[in-house]
Amino acid sequence: MIALIAQRIAQAIVVLFVVSVLAFLLSTQIGDPVASILGLQATPEDRLELRAALGLDDPWPTRYLEFVTNVLRGELGVSYITQRPVSELIVERLPATFELAGVALLFSLGVGLPIGIYAAINRGRWSADAILSLSVIGVSVPTFVIAILLIFLFSVTLGWLPSFGRGQVVQVGWWTTGLLTPSGLKALIMPAAALAVSQVALVARLVRAEMIEVLRADYIRFARARGLKPRVIHLSLALRNTLIPVITVSGIQLGFLFAFAVVAEAVFQWPGIGLLFLQALGSTDVPIISAILLLTAAFFVAINTIVDLLYAVVDPRLRAGGLNGRPAGA
Amino acid sequence: MLKHTLMGAAAALALTAGMAGAENLRFAGATPALTMDPHATNDFTTTAIFRQVYDSLIGLSLDMELTPALATEWDYIGDNTWRFTIREGVQFHDGSALTAEDVAFSIMRQKDSRFYRSLFGGIQEARVVDATTVDVVSAGPDPILPRKMSRMFILSQAWAEANDVVDIPDLGAEGAEAHSIRNAMGTGPMRLLSHDPSVETRFEAFADYWDEMPGNVTTATYLNIGSGPTRVAALLSGEVDMVVDLPLQDIGRVEAAPGYTIAEAPQMLWMQLEMDGTRDQALETFDRAGNPLAENPFRDTRVRQAIAHTVDANLIADRVMRGKARVVGSASIPGFGGYQEDLDQRWETDLDRARELLAEAGYPDGFVTTMNCPLERYINTDDICRAVASMLARVGIDVRVNGMVWPEFARMLVNGPDSSFHLIGMGPDSRDTQDSFTGYVMTRNPDANEGFFNWALFSKPEIDELTRTLTVTFDEDEREGLYRDLLGRAREQVNAVYLHQPMIVWGMRGGVNAPIRSDATVTLQNVVVE
Repeated sequence: MIALIAQRIAQAIVVLFVVSVLAFLLSTQIGDPVASILGLQATPEDRLELRAALGLDDPWPTRYLEFVTNVLRGELGVSYITQRPVSELIVERLPATFELAGVALLFSLGVGLPIGIYAAINRGRWSADAILSLSVIGVSVPTFVIAILLIFLFSVTLGWLPSFGRGQVVQVGWWTTGLLTPSGLKALIMPAAALAVSQVALVARLVRAEMIEVLRADYIRFARARGLKPRVIHLSLALRNTLIPVITVSGIQLGFLFAFAVVAEAVFQWPGIGLLFLQALGSTDVPIISAILLLTAAFFVAINTIVDLLYAVVDPRLRAGGLNGRPAGA
Repeated sequence: MLKHTLMGAAAALALTAGMAGAENLRFAGATPALTMDPHATNDFTTTAIFRQVYDSLIGLSLDMELTPALATEWDYIGDNTWRFTIREGVQFHDGSALTAEDVAFSIMRQKDSRFYRSLFGGIQEARVVDATTVDVVSAGPDPILPRKMSRMFILSQAWAEANDVVDIPDLGAEGAEAHSIRNAMGTGPMRLLSHDPSVETRFEAFADYWDEMPGNVTTATYLNIGSGPTRVAALLSGEVDMVVDLPLQDIGRVEAAPGYTIAEAPQMLWMQLEMDGTRDQALETFDRAGNPLAENPFRDTRVRQAIAHTVDANLIADRVMRGKARVVGSASIPGFGGYQEDLDQRWETDLDRARELLAEAGYPDGFVTTMNCPLERYINTDDICRAVASMLARVGIDVRVNGMVWPEFARMLVNGPDSSFHLIGMGPDSRDTQDSFTGYVMTRNPDANEGFFNWALFSKPEIDELTRTLTVTFDEDEREGLYRDLLGRAREQVNAVYLHQPMIVWGMRGGVNAPIRSDATVTLQNVVVE
């Protein structure tokens, strides 16, 4: 077990290292930060001076090494454009993105689960197929189109929900939350819904497939033979076993929602990490770009590592599998 | 009839109530206000926001003319020295009085800013003469310094010292955030309540402002909403009162919505096509067989004139810009010092004449070239470039449009310049025609601070000479003569093919009346909200 944990963590470090190199190289290729900061106005001397001050003249391995040592010390640098520490900016924006991604996950489960269960129980009926196909539309329509449609319906036409921003937020320690005020909750509905729509079909299909599998199992047949009510069989026996893989996938999904919140954040001017990233891209704000790429990678790697380790806890065969991580005899 | 009278009375009542009560204005724009330190950026949007809090030494009227502000008078007293008389009885937002020392301090602080080198790099010293007089000494004669001073922002010296922001916060420095980035201490019509670049900037009217406040806004909030459709939706749903960057395609919809109005004014910037005036061989330019041309066609004035006669700026303004543009016919625009209305005549669109000129220049079959086109920063550049390419194709000049994102485009210019033909926006910093010439038309020589933005390397020695004379001439009549001479020559030689000034367009809900100004500043002290 200890060997497995060590191995997984070593893998995670390798992945993070590769991503950090890529993030760093990418950020050196997206334009000239000096030209972005100073515009066309500055004199050549000013340009050279600023290049030197930002350390842009050093060879890239040197700069990378400095970047990594700073990151390890918890210093993410200072934003070129807003001239504020990047770590401060990220801490300010992180709660917004987490709340958005979390609520979007709840939405996608809340809608996807019932659809999946219904489709599994009523397999073969046209109504089940219709609902399932309908959920696929959600995947095919781009998030920003859904977002704009929502805005025009609920903000402009009906005037029920705000079209942008987070509403009123409450400070809880360093965390700012919109979940405790009515205006904050209202502001959360549309961005979370727009983000969730693409995930609904995924959840529904997964639940359906798993549930059909479970319904074929012997213990369900015995339960039927015992004359238990279908409702009890479906919801308390079958569903419970269906949920295990769904919960695993949800963890990974949260990572996706976190990363793909960018679009919803841009449309709804949601002050989260994605919006920060877009603004930084537009102005070649390299410290922010590198920090967010790294942060997102770390988030994905952490989730995957935890999921892997949990599998090992759940399934003893994985532990016996040793270094290649496969079940023995598989 | 009775109904009308009643409604009129109700409206009048609402109006008086509005004047007396506390009025809040929420206005939204596409880009965030970055910093509140007025010397740490020259960003267009950010300047329009911190102008609420910081007064400039010399003010601007709504039609961009110079007006007395913190300086009531200014005179040239010889020896490269301008004397400014400082207004008495002006207060900072903390209640302290504005002194000549504050003015001198601010001038010395801003002149060292990387962002204002082209405007204020020539200033050597700001000297306090007495309690209400400051002398500004430049390295050389500077007849247009007063116009530049409309962008000199005055902050409190005592506040800067107390908060450790005597120097402009330096980029790339490690450590904590400088105090001046989210706090301010100026003399402007509004006091800064809070500044969060990612969400909003909040202001409150300053009760002890030195000037009149014709409007009735007591609190105001600037919101950053990056997405165009969302910004328009926020306006139409009543979440904001006003939008300062109305997307071109949504103007009609806002105008059509009952009660909503739009306001427009030409930006202090114009688009133009620049052509290589120096290289022996133009970059990326070939004959029809694909061989590089022996000569640089753009260096031939006849080719430049042919392009000017072919590209129809009126059509671009009407179609591509949907009428939200003002066609430009000289190297100066209204509101600039030295603008000459009668010389502002666009070249006639005349394809036969253009073909003749091309044939005379030795290109009867035209040629093939590449135009570099910045895809952001200015409005609808992608469409403008494609329209230009299809117009030039009609006289045999085949143009491949090379679209580039702004950082890439900027890098090509500042590290080269490596372009023989491109579209660019031209906005001389000081807003004087002199600056068009010193910055954009003179032969490029950055060391002598000449032609710094002349990215296409246009070069005519007689224009250089005349411009040098202009920069040391203080006599108004003589200056007028030189302005006219220079504008005429630049147009004749086609230093660039001038296109149009894009309009700034604001959308407002009914009951909001904000006078528009060409530098895109919402002068909150003039806004009336009902």
